[in-house]
Amino acid sequence: MASVITAAIPAQARAKQLRACLLCSIIQTPADFRKSGCPNCEELMQMKSSPDRIQACTTTYFDGVIAVVDPEQSWVARWQRTSKYVRGMYAVRVKGRVPDDVEAELEARGIKYRPRDQTDQD
Amino acid sequence: MDEEEDEDEEDEEDGDMDSGRPKKRTKHRHKKRNAVNRFLDVEAEVDEDEEEDEDEEDYGREGFIEEGVDEEVDDMRRAVDHARLNRRERELDDQDLARIAEDMKKRYNQSAVRYTGDMNEIPQRLLMPSVHDANLWQVRVRPGKERDIVFSLMRKAIDLEYTNKPLSILSAFQRDSLPGMIYVEARSSKQVSEAINGLVGIFPSRGINLVPIEEMASLLQIKKQDLTVTPGSWVRIRRGKYQGDLAQVMDITENGEEVGLKFIPRIDLNPKDDTTADGKKRKKMGFGNMSSTTMRPPQRFFNYEEVAKVYGRKQVSKRNQVYVFQNDTYKDGFIEKDFKLSALQLENVNPTLDEITQFARGMDGAENDNAVDLTIIAEASRKAAIAVLQPGDHVEVFEGEQTGVDGVVQSMEGDVVTIIANSMELENQRVDVPARSVRKKFKPGDHVKVMTGKNADETGLVVSVENNVVTFLSDMSMQEVSVFSKDLREAAEVGSGTNVVGNYELHDLVQLDLQTVGVIYKTEWDSFRVLDQNGQTRLVQPHQISMRRDSNRAIATDSEGHELRVGDNVKEIDGEGRKGRVLHIHQSHFAFLHNRDYNENGGVFVTRARSLASLAPRGNLLKAGTDLSKMNPAMSGGAGGGMVGSAMGRGPRDWVIGLSVSVIRGTYKGYVGTIKDTNGPVARVELHTNNKIITIERDKLKARNPDGTLVPLDQAAFNGRGKWGNTGNMGPPRTIGSYQGGRQGGTGGWGGATPGGWAVPPSHTPNPYNNSGKTPAWGGSSRTPNPYADSGKTPAWSAMSRTPNPYADGSRTPAWNVGSRTPNPYAGGSGGASSGWGGATPGRPTESSGGWGLSSGGASPNKNGGGWGSSNDTWVCYCF
Repeated sequence: MASVITAAIPAQARAKQLRACLLCSIIQTPADFRKSGCPNCEELMQMKSSPDRIQACTTTYFDGVIAVVDPEQSWVARWQRTSKYVRGMYAVRVKGRVPDDVEAELEARGIKYRPRDQTDQD
Repeated sequence: MDEEEDEDEEDEEDGDMDSGRPKKRTKHRHKKRNAVNRFLDVEAEVDEDEEEDEDEEDYGREGFIEEGVDEEVDDMRRAVDHARLNRRERELDDQDLARIAEDMKKRYNQSAVRYTGDMNEIPQRLLMPSVHDANLWQVRVRPGKERDIVFSLMRKAIDLEYTNKPLSILSAFQRDSLPGMIYVEARSSKQVSEAINGLVGIFPSRGINLVPIEEMASLLQIKKQDLTVTPGSWVRIRRGKYQGDLAQVMDITENGEEVGLKFIPRIDLNPKDDTTADGKKRKKMGFGNMSSTTMRPPQRFFNYEEVAKVYGRKQVSKRNQVYVFQNDTYKDGFIEKDFKLSALQLENVNPTLDEITQFARGMDGAENDNAVDLTIIAEASRKAAIAVLQPGDHVEVFEGEQTGVDGVVQSMEGDVVTIIANSMELENQRVDVPARSVRKKFKPGDHVKVMTGKNADETGLVVSVENNVVTFLSDMSMQEVSVFSKDLREAAEVGSGTNVVGNYELHDLVQLDLQTVGVIYKTEWDSFRVLDQNGQTRLVQPHQISMRRDSNRAIATDSEGHELRVGDNVKEIDGEGRKGRVLHIHQSHFAFLHNRDYNENGGVFVTRARSLASLAPRGNLLKAGTDLSKMNPAMSGGAGGGMVGSAMGRGPRDWVIGLSVSVIRGTYKGYVGTIKDTNGPVARVELHTNNKIITIERDKLKARNPDGTLVPLDQAAFNGRGKWGNTGNMGPPRTIGSYQGGRQGGTGGWGGATPGGWAVPPSHTPNPYNNSGKTPAWGGSSRTPNPYADSGKTPAWSAMSRTPNPYADGSRTPAWNVGSRTPNPYAGGSGGASSGWGGATPGRPTESSGGWGLSSGGASPNKNGGGWGSSNDTWVCYCF
């Protein structure tokens, strides 16, 4: 656990500005997204220092907040498919889909895109 | 490279040997060295070259002694060794750098790790929790604090991670739809309570409850109704100045957070003119708006001229096609504004036809837009339409392949409706169509009933059908009403339900506040339209009505001085000359009339009684006669209640009320109580023993004197009179005999069991009624010189008349007024006798404005009698 990387935890839970990543559902402030991007999927989203990308790839419209303390062990994280991700705050549900280019990239890599709005359950 | 590596290995072996051997030999020094950190070792090696050399010397000496190599060779060898050592170190350094670089790369890659989505392939059901997973524990928290607490837990977990007491929870989460609770994932509840210990806003006392394993997944699956908006759909604004207003979606931002809306602005065209306090005031106003909608400016299309006039031209700027005013943009009269999705109500929008037409009107008066708009609203309510379809409904298909087919709904399954077609080619065939493609079909002449909406329960005859808007003539208001066909159903019944809401129904006279009464002229789903006495209409909820008023007995005087009653057909003598039937009379002054011919306010209007004239002039005699027959106690039998018909109104207080009595017969025999009320031959007695009020015949009661003796009620009534007549001074003129006579006159108190005594009062006696003939006792005294007759002269009487007088009660009753219309025996000194009851009484005041009961004394007979005139004031005061 010591080696687990932790995402930036927003200081203010009430901040209206909290945004959730559309792909991995991590919740951070826009400032954190701008500073270090998404700790899980920056490679795809490339939000670092790009406010426009942050606008497109994250949303304030999410429901439910999960504090994932131990992603590997937590069933909640597994259910949310975030066990391989960093520790941090995650949203239960995120409304919206990733931008088309990200979706296309995912498809190109053969990765199944699961929107975080719980529309498809199997 | 390989060579190098080999050499490295060698070197390393050498190094091992190097470090191994000296250990053996120079234990002292090397022990120390071994203890030091490896990093220091690397650095130290360089520094310790000399020492190393010494070692080498030793080593060389020893080793080469065995091999027998001489000193020169040793020197050379030493140099080589040096070189080798240096090289080795360099290489080690290189290797370190490479390794560090690699480490760095690894570490860097970890944060920008290639997104694999490796967990995305697993179906969700395989992720269901098992018994090996940690449990979820529900923890109660202060509502509104859920999110903060989850964040606090995360921070706490990080803070305590490297302490000796790290948190052992795995996760914690909160759902917006589950207020007041968070869920913590942990192996035991102890871990949970350790984690939440010390956090503010948690209620550990309410327990840490285990979530059953089968419910764990559903906690994370909860989702709100998926709310999607599409351009063109209707929403309502949840908060602020435009709370509840209908708006149309124009566009949506890509991530679906904000929605561009178009709606009718509410611009305050009468702003308070101190602009300095503007910000402050607006803030206040904002809150005020929330609570009371009175301050909210009405919906009004943006008009540049109007706004510029009020706010000045500088405030309004024009850019391209739009106006900008106070940071809002206005186009075509509408305001266009972005709203957060959360500030909008997306469900149950139910735009009304009125709102839609208002929207349509805004389109620069383009009438043809109307139809277009209706289709939009129909679209919006399409879903609802499916829900209201029922087997048996007559529907038509309006889109898709089967367009034009009509039939009767046979069954419904999900979104598919099976209809039996009526059209010629498909006659009697079953056709499956999607529910959204059918709509209820009506044709002119159908009798329909509205099922939902503002006009719910209204019924009527369809007069026209246009697409999905049906216009029908309401049975009730005789007005045309347009509704969506989805809200209609064929019905044979005539709507009546809508006439009653709560305890009130159409055309009731209701009290709105202390000063205001009104007549309900329209009932809506849960509210009324009321026309008050000032001619104003208002919309009231049932709870805003304090009571219903009964004006059945109210009487007013019309313009000709005739009596006006509820139900009379009258017309206005001035103004518009409207005709109508009197629904209610209020304070003998206002008359609420109803006439179906008028559309306004459902045909109800209010006018002054004095400006009305009877449509069917009735002969005074005739009219009076009919009325009198009701009032005349002789004619109405007079027995029993003794109150002669309802027209008599309330009688005076019975003597016996308040008497202490004993029951002498019946179940309650022996009980002692107090008479609370009487009604003819029965009395309501409050028993002393258990505080119960019983209803019992009067003849079963006997009055109970303070000494315990029992006397007949009537006698006691007299005895007791002194007490609450409060008139020692009244006493003298009276004799017991008079009361005795009274008793004989009517055992029923004032039941008038001997009608004769009442019916034809001898002309030379004062009319008992006039004497505020409250009791037969007075009637019985008719032969005695009536104390009242002398009233003008007897100070005793006048004095008494100013005291709170039990008789005074009577003056408010019609009974008194009845008397007032008879020729006043005191005035004329002659008896009008029974004919005196006639309407043609000289004593009848024609100029009385109020007429009955509540009139201000004008109706009192004293105009005729000088004797009475002097006591006029006193009577007036009785009237109120």
